[in-house]
Amino acid sequence: MVRANKKNILAFFYFKNVIIYSVVTILLNVSCKKLVEIDPPVTVLSSDVVFSNNASAAAVLTGVYDNMIYGSSKFSSGYYSLSLLAGLSADEFKKYSTDPTQEQFFVNAVSSNRVRFWVELYNYIYTANAVLEAMVASPNISAEVKQQLIGEAKFVRAFCYFYLFNLFGDVPLITTTDYKVNALASRASADQVYSQVIADLKSAKELLNSQYVAADVITTTSDRVRPNKWAATALLARVFLYSKDWANAENEATAVINNTSMYNLDTNLNNVFVKNSIEAIWQLQPVQVGYNTYDAYYFVLTSTPNNAKPVALSTFLVNAFDSADNRKKDWVGTITFGTQTYYYSNKYKISALNQPVSEYLMVLRLAEQHLIRAEARAQQNKTSSSQDDLNIIRARAGLPNTSANDKTSLLTAILHERQVELFSEWGHRWLDLKRTGTVDAVMSIVCPQKGGTWSPNWALYPIPLGEIQNDPNLIQNPGYQ
Amino acid sequence: MNLTVNGVSNLPSPQGEGPGVRLKLLRIMKLTLILLTAAALQVSASGYSQNVTLNLKDVTLDKVFKEIRRQTGYLFLYKNEEVKKIGKVSVNVKDVPVEEAIQESLASTPFHFKMVDKTIVVTAEPQNVTLSAEGMSLSSVFLEIKRQTGYVFWYDKNLIDNHSSVTVEFDRRPLEKALYSILSPLNLDFAIEKKVIVIKSKPVVSAMADTTKPKAPPGEIKGRVVNSKGEPIAGATVTVQGTRKSTITDANGEFSLAGVDDDAVIQITHVQYEIENITLNGKGIVNATLQIKVSSLDELQVIAYGTTTKRLNTGNVSTVKAEEIEKQPVSNPLATLQGRVPGMIITQQTGMPGGSFSVQIRGQNSIASGNDPLYVIDGVPYPSQLLPNLGGVPWGTSANGSSGSPLSYINPSDIESIDVLKDADATAIYGSRGANGVVLITTKKGKIGKANVTVNMYTGFGKVSRKTDLLNTRQYLDMRYEALSNDGVDINSPSSWSPDLTDWDTSAYTNWQKTMIGGTSHYYDAQISVSGGTTIVQYLLGGGYHKETDIFPGNYSDQKTSVHFNITTNSSNQKFKAMLSGNYIVDNNKIGYYDLTNQSFLPPNAPDIYNPDGSLNWANDTWSNPLALLISKYNPTTNNLVSNALLSYKILPTLEFKTSLGYNNMQVNEIRTFPISFFPPSYNITTGSSDFTRNNISSWIIEPQVNYQLIIGKGKLTTLLGGTIQKIHTVGEILNANGFTNDAFLENIRAASKIVVQSTTNTQYKYNGAFSRLNYNWQDKYLINITGRRDGSSRFGPGKQFANFGAIGVGWVFSQENFIHKSFPFLSFGKLRASYGSAGNDLIGDYQYITTYSSTAFPYQGVQGLYPNNLFNPDYSWEVNKKLELAIEGGLFKDRIYFAASYYRNRSSNQLVGYPVSRITGFGSVVSNLPALVQNKGFEFLINTTNIKSKSITWTSSVNLTIFSNKLVEFSNLSNTGYARYLIIDQPLNIIKVYHLLGVNDTTGVYQFVDSKGTPTYNPSYPDDATVLINTNPKFYGGFQNNFQFKGFELSVFFQFVKQIGRNYLFSNSYAPGFYFAQNQSAIVLNRWQKPGDLASIQQYTQSFGSPASIAYEYAQNSDYAFSDASFIRLKNVSFSYRLSDTWAKKWHLQNFRIYFQGQNLLTITNYKGMDPENQSTQSLPPLRVFTFGIQITL
Repeated sequence: MVRANKKNILAFFYFKNVIIYSVVTILLNVSCKKLVEIDPPVTVLSSDVVFSNNASAAAVLTGVYDNMIYGSSKFSSGYYSLSLLAGLSADEFKKYSTDPTQEQFFVNAVSSNRVRFWVELYNYIYTANAVLEAMVASPNISAEVKQQLIGEAKFVRAFCYFYLFNLFGDVPLITTTDYKVNALASRASADQVYSQVIADLKSAKELLNSQYVAADVITTTSDRVRPNKWAATALLARVFLYSKDWANAENEATAVINNTSMYNLDTNLNNVFVKNSIEAIWQLQPVQVGYNTYDAYYFVLTSTPNNAKPVALSTFLVNAFDSADNRKKDWVGTITFGTQTYYYSNKYKISALNQPVSEYLMVLRLAEQHLIRAEARAQQNKTSSSQDDLNIIRARAGLPNTSANDKTSLLTAILHERQVELFSEWGHRWLDLKRTGTVDAVMSIVCPQKGGTWSPNWALYPIPLGEIQNDPNLIQNPGYQ
Repeated sequence: MNLTVNGVSNLPSPQGEGPGVRLKLLRIMKLTLILLTAAALQVSASGYSQNVTLNLKDVTLDKVFKEIRRQTGYLFLYKNEEVKKIGKVSVNVKDVPVEEAIQESLASTPFHFKMVDKTIVVTAEPQNVTLSAEGMSLSSVFLEIKRQTGYVFWYDKNLIDNHSSVTVEFDRRPLEKALYSILSPLNLDFAIEKKVIVIKSKPVVSAMADTTKPKAPPGEIKGRVVNSKGEPIAGATVTVQGTRKSTITDANGEFSLAGVDDDAVIQITHVQYEIENITLNGKGIVNATLQIKVSSLDELQVIAYGTTTKRLNTGNVSTVKAEEIEKQPVSNPLATLQGRVPGMIITQQTGMPGGSFSVQIRGQNSIASGNDPLYVIDGVPYPSQLLPNLGGVPWGTSANGSSGSPLSYINPSDIESIDVLKDADATAIYGSRGANGVVLITTKKGKIGKANVTVNMYTGFGKVSRKTDLLNTRQYLDMRYEALSNDGVDINSPSSWSPDLTDWDTSAYTNWQKTMIGGTSHYYDAQISVSGGTTIVQYLLGGGYHKETDIFPGNYSDQKTSVHFNITTNSSNQKFKAMLSGNYIVDNNKIGYYDLTNQSFLPPNAPDIYNPDGSLNWANDTWSNPLALLISKYNPTTNNLVSNALLSYKILPTLEFKTSLGYNNMQVNEIRTFPISFFPPSYNITTGSSDFTRNNISSWIIEPQVNYQLIIGKGKLTTLLGGTIQKIHTVGEILNANGFTNDAFLENIRAASKIVVQSTTNTQYKYNGAFSRLNYNWQDKYLINITGRRDGSSRFGPGKQFANFGAIGVGWVFSQENFIHKSFPFLSFGKLRASYGSAGNDLIGDYQYITTYSSTAFPYQGVQGLYPNNLFNPDYSWEVNKKLELAIEGGLFKDRIYFAASYYRNRSSNQLVGYPVSRITGFGSVVSNLPALVQNKGFEFLINTTNIKSKSITWTSSVNLTIFSNKLVEFSNLSNTGYARYLIIDQPLNIIKVYHLLGVNDTTGVYQFVDSKGTPTYNPSYPDDATVLINTNPKFYGGFQNNFQFKGFELSVFFQFVKQIGRNYLFSNSYAPGFYFAQNQSAIVLNRWQKPGDLASIQQYTQSFGSPASIAYEYAQNSDYAFSDASFIRLKNVSFSYRLSDTWAKKWHLQNFRIYFQGQNLLTITNYKGMDPENQSTQSLPPLRVFTFGIQITL
């Protein structure tokens, strides 16, 4: 250190310039963002990277289907699947496990901290919204891929909302990924949700390939494991039916049914649920090594039902079959221990592990389209054409033509036919009871058998407790805490 | 070797003042004094000119004055009667300045004079001094003498600063004699020239006796600089005052300089010694003895991007030096800090080598982000956590789930000092990373001197220091039978699984505690280093080896081999300097994956470990043979390099450009094997499997800096401006390999039939900042320090990457004030300081601000799908920690007592948490900033005393104490978040909600709790009935150190103490006493309830799930009964050494020879119910009691 003599003061002023220059340089450098810009992560991909090329963008929707089928406790398949839990809620299954979640769905007293489905479906909706937003701003995705991906995303979103609405009633309608807005969303009305679902499906129908495509979403393939134009049409037919737009339901179902080059009813009932079945409009491909479908894994009894094989078919369902019904022969299995005979869903047959994968999980199939059209026609008093559709289904099951010959009896016959045709699939029975207004009548009889008394508010499942806590604008369904 | 340096010395100038003496200006006498005196004085005035011509013979002084007044107009003040006493004077001067004329006139009189403006004050008998001083500072003494005599003092401030206590008693002693008595004991000399007293160092006379050296030629001087022990001082700067001639002493302390004037003053400086000034007076040989700086206040203290001293620091920095580190036989530097740093809590989680430490500086600031301090080793930021790894049980766990401590890979022997930076003033310059404090580790550097070879070796052993009093076989069996009987269960019923009673030999007894953790761990450590250097190059090369075995059965060890080097080179003009240093360590840890501590609770009649044929005894699968755990091999190997290069160039002595370049690479490979024999034969396992980890953290950093110093007014302004560019790249993977058909191939991944990638890590972290510091020091009295930093981090989203941090620190060294000097002469040092500022915390994961996609586990349609991981929140930014500190530091009696007390309050806001959101957003939470505020405040006290200091005996003590509290001040909408389960406003973050246990119901024999309505129950409900809040933060903690030195002997004793509540071992077992699964129990359980009416502290034994006692036990685990006092006083370290006297050492041609004993964790005084109050676990090995013996030789 020296004193600030003249020379040093001069030096200071000279070096002051140097310092100022250095300061400016350093600060400029600092504000130069390059120094804190990092390469995108490698073990995970940032959304920018994902949506910068066709393959990875397509993989996002592949990931949705993959996640739907992967794992043993998903909405689509497994221990807590919609097929199983909604089947327990309705009159399809009797429960033998001690699992508290299955117990609650079985006795129709679902608590808001054990309810399922919500979280998973909204996660798929987020992914679909993310794809839709990314497609708007992704110049590197080819038009062809973009079209298919937008179509698939809209289809996925509609598919999820269909179930959310039918399980929980009015639900928040989320169409963006902006959590700041979404976190405070309140419930949308039935009309709002349905019009969004219909708009999505109409759009998907236009955008999606009419053939089935591979994971690159361009090459066509025989695997029916990605939704195509006809999957969108088939789901649209169902949505119109649920929203009581009979004419449109009939039209959309007709469009699918008329595509006979792709879809036919398989006369062999044992072939309906195999992979790439001629009847399949959309299937999910089992991915977990060693497994075929979880439906077979859990439903097919090889011992007395227990925690590992949690359910058997209820007497309501077993008794609903006509004795001549081939579906009872081919789709219902029995196993007897001592004096006790248990019935089980045998639609999927391969329950053993480490077998070649020959069965895919059916999501949409042609038989439902006939039943949709039969119902839509009956509602429009098109009795004879309605009978035709119903009889097509009955004939395949080895049953004679229906005796129902007016709207009312036809609707009753169709509801019954749906019970025995679509049992243990995707909660069809539970949803049918609710949309046809028969739920209270049926469940008032069923519930006491399951050990309770039916309460009409049980038709809707409760919204998960954490959702009510975290979103002040969400109001719980009546009758739940 | 001799070296002359032309130009200005590179070494720090003493106290930043110019070379040479410094004029201490005479304070102008106050006008009031003049006026008061004037009444008694005769006043006269006349004349106007400046020069005077006098030709007077035998006249009275009065006349002379009048004549001068006539000629110049100056007024004279004097006492008439005094002047009249003097006889006549003669004076003959021609046209001389008035001062000279007066001087001449008074030459033969005892009078002297002062000029104040145009007034000349004449007083008599100035040389006599009356002084009564006790512990007075020298500068105050000078002031007093100046007041009495009017003599002016000239001195180098550095010369007198540390001789600040004078005790004398004079009554009208002549000035010269007085000065001699004052200065001589202080090794100071003086000269009086006219009315100026020049203070200087005492010349060393012994130089003249040194006849072994040839007499130097004229103009050339030679000399030798030694310390008080006569040891040469290398690297001291020798400067010829008033010239630019300067040199540095060589390894023998010798120097030579040419062309030196005969009457020149030579100044010798060295950072560790007091400055010495020597007037040549024609001497050609100068021998100087430098006194080591008495006060530790002047030792260098490492701070961010520089150094300071305790005296001048405006921030809070605690330093632990090599001498304290070297006394501790530990392998992790963190262990050496335990109890020594106020405000820093370090908990050793396990006694296993390589184990984790949890570290907190000034409490927990962050609810959800990391609380680790920033570690910086020689300027290179160092990871605070390892990457995700296989997680060996014995290594404990870190916040990110990884096991082990990165600091294990730094050799404590290579460390020169560890400085812990705590307050805003010290940490704000680290900006976004300073919130949790900063730990600066400085490694040893080469010093000027001849090559020194130092060898240090020790060996020793360690054992578990505390054991549990467990049940013997009889007591154990009785407990089991009683439990069966209480539950009404027959021993042979299927619901009783009691192999211990039915299958095992009920007369057998094994002391499992002794078998499992009764072993001895062995320590071997050898360090060798060579260091030395010249003024051009200094170097240090060192190598080390450390081996530590575990205490479990078998022979497993952890071995470390390390290399440390440091090379510094200077250009011959000392302007350019380059330094390169590196620390490289290879650690090969074979301690094993399992901690067998919990196996010491095996039932006392458990089967023999080995069958008679030597194979493992599985006893028909009635137990898991504990030694099978050792068959699974776990071998982490770590290579760690920390290197640093420093380039600096001094354009001017005051202007320096510097760049620090750092690189750190830590590579960790792990193998864990599961041989076929690891599994019981009944499992029919036919193939083995292995796990492999490969982790690599590499980071580099570049930090250009400019330092500039400038005198402004009476103070010194030091400025620093710099920038940081840093990048960290982490890559890692964990692989599971299965299907090895031969155990011999388990470490060859190629022999596996199936390999699954369990996890992969690959992240980048970039960081840059610009920082600045302005430090203004006004005469070592008023200090102000302003720091600022602008930081950018890649961990934040666009627009949020940059933020500003800053702090201001002020210090007032009030002991420099004269009025303090006078009033409190015993106060040798006193400083008040305060700081306020902000620092940030970015300890969150990388890439959190973007939505990322992971690939699905299995392919769909033949391709791997992608799914989103998180919500996109680009808006979150740093946690901000605002730190306030107020402190007082002081030194008493020449700093024999040093004390410091600080108060701090840190408030951490903008808390980065995973904020829970409705799932309709797609996910359950989003990383975001919450307006939650966490406050830590506390007091830290430190007292260092030198109790005895004589030639042969020294006794010093140091005690520190920290009292602190932590609380959540606010958290908006807390009740609607998942955090509501465990956080409470106005309570510490680590609060635990538990039930209140009433005791054992004397009728049912089961624990009873109080529910929220006050009713006793054995079955309380959560959270309503959990009403008791347990705070496990220490209430206070600290350490107490004593060092004794007697001749060559040195003894150092260190106690650590903590006052806290902790989880005791009563309920640490998952199962209630009586269960077969609960295994053996502490003898405490003997005091159990047996029959109605019993008043017992332990409930009845049970062995059935679902029994009331079993249910009550589970609740009791979460009751206030499970917590108790875990305070302890631990004799943490004892070090005893003997150093051979110099005479003997010289005979053996050694520079130093020392033998020592060191002990760690020797004694623990505690009421804690359990093995160890520090790690509070029955599952992990407690810190071991270690004894070592060693030898240190310097050639």
